[in-house]
Amino acid sequence: MSASQQDGGVPNLYDERMIRIRKAINLEPVSQIPVIYMGTAFSARYTGRTMARYCNDPNVSFESNLETCERLGVDGLNLLASGLIAPILSAMWMSHIAVPGRELPDDSLWQVQEAEVMKAEEYDTLIEMGWQAYVASYLPRVVDMAEFGANIQFMQENTGRYLGILREKGVPYICMGATSTPFEPLCGARSMPEFFADCYRRPEKVKAAMDVMLPDMIGDGIGLAAMTHSIGAWVGGWRSASALVSPKIWNELVWPYLEAIVNAMWDKGLVSVLHLDQNWTRDLARFNELPAKSCLFNLDGFTDARKFKEILGDRFAMLGDVPPTLFAAGTPDDIHTYVHDLVRDVGPTGLLLCPGCDAPINTKPENMEAFVAAGREFGGGVH
Amino acid sequence: MSDELARALADLEEQKVEALVDERLAAGADPSSILASSQDGMRQVGERYEEGEYFVSDLMMSSAIFKKVVARLEPLLVGTTAVSRGSVVVGTVRGDVHDIGKDLVVSTLRASGYTVTDLGVNVPPDRFVEAIRETGAPVLALSGLLTISFDPMKETVEAVEAAGPRSQVKIMLGGGPVTEQVRAYAGADALGADPPSAVRLADEWTKVA
Repeated sequence: MSASQQDGGVPNLYDERMIRIRKAINLEPVSQIPVIYMGTAFSARYTGRTMARYCNDPNVSFESNLETCERLGVDGLNLLASGLIAPILSAMWMSHIAVPGRELPDDSLWQVQEAEVMKAEEYDTLIEMGWQAYVASYLPRVVDMAEFGANIQFMQENTGRYLGILREKGVPYICMGATSTPFEPLCGARSMPEFFADCYRRPEKVKAAMDVMLPDMIGDGIGLAAMTHSIGAWVGGWRSASALVSPKIWNELVWPYLEAIVNAMWDKGLVSVLHLDQNWTRDLARFNELPAKSCLFNLDGFTDARKFKEILGDRFAMLGDVPPTLFAAGTPDDIHTYVHDLVRDVGPTGLLLCPGCDAPINTKPENMEAFVAAGREFGGGVH
Repeated sequence: MSDELARALADLEEQKVEALVDERLAAGADPSSILASSQDGMRQVGERYEEGEYFVSDLMMSSAIFKKVVARLEPLLVGTTAVSRGSVVVGTVRGDVHDIGKDLVVSTLRASGYTVTDLGVNVPPDRFVEAIRETGAPVLALSGLLTISFDPMKETVEAVEAAGPRSQVKIMLGGGPVTEQVRAYAGADALGADPPSAVRLADEWTKVA
């Protein structure tokens, strides 16, 4: 219950939107399907700021995202970072991120520079040292540690202030902290070709490393959700998608860890926002092993949303899944039709409308505005 | 007909493949025949992928094994004339530095007997045009993982068009966000949604080219 409700008052805009978001996640009927924003680089473009400013000043980044939400009139944010994006992505991808205004032209997109930074023999090092200590020794290879440390300090000092501004402006957020299965940082550190080969050549070693990493990755999700007073945490999966890995790898090196993270978060009352990039359709049925409503499926258009509804729709809600390609290359009519069909087939309960993955930098503004308008038009359901 | 080496490669048995290659070389086998068996194994991998039995990780593992075989055979193949099935120019377009999907297509095309000119990543349109002119390749494969690759793909197609008769070069697009809508926008001829599709398109186009 919100503070205003406890006071016996009428819920303010923030509370009204947050209540609707929570209801949608809990598969309860809503008066209007929540329309959620997920975008980073697009925010800079939409608000007339260069990528260099967006990537090098966390206040500019926050202001761009907030201004975008306000101008669009969305009901909330999927995930918001309260610091510089490049150091955060570096730690998630275990890779160097080339940044606009430094290695890249001022108004270009940052780029993950994936390479085989971690060598195969370092699995043993990781297992011996533990994950946190290994990461501390690894990160200087891919990120400026002075900037990384300053960014963490900035987030610790400013997250509370940002949360206050979001509340004041009536823009709730679903999560502000992120974690992933061990598969993802290992894949980034080793590079995808090398790591996928490791899954065939030395699966026991990979598994042993993942077992060491898991408690810390659970701790990240729970800790960040608590620190940011969030519904839950963003739990990412991008290279571990069913379309990318064989069933054997998925069953042994992806699923057990995903299941453990979701269950541990749920034990603390936290929802896992499963940010599942690429196509996970093959393994959807497996998610029925998880507690109902413990997850919110954040899909990007590759996973079959209709199959999701059929297999999991009576136990879990979906957040998505308007494809990034449609935002960049489609028309407002395409977006209108996509949202109509999505609401018809997946909603109106258990659905939160959102750009899949992350609205790309070259999203046409008219497409983003059409997305919000369609969300409002069909937000009561399509009959 | 599939032999033991081809089957081992198709089953992704890396150590067995290496042992069989060594065994055949020690027995005096023609390196070209060993390469042909390996290519047959890669063909079977592609079939299993298309039948839904294999996934991207299986393609990548087969590619890693095949590269090892080629590295072992290459010094022994010097001076022999391999029959190429055709020439293909491949690259990730300007502004995008992602190479994993592109590399997988390159190795699959090579395993299928194509001569591939790999231009790498962040390739400007005029470099593609230059490579087509140099190699006479009738097939161009453009890759991109980010949506910002759509415009450079279109610009590359236009540059190829401006440089000569468009009908002499067939262009395919590949990469996660690339859809039929993007293909139409860029003016390319087809989508090579995955490495086996890229090979199938190259087969089709080099036959008529």
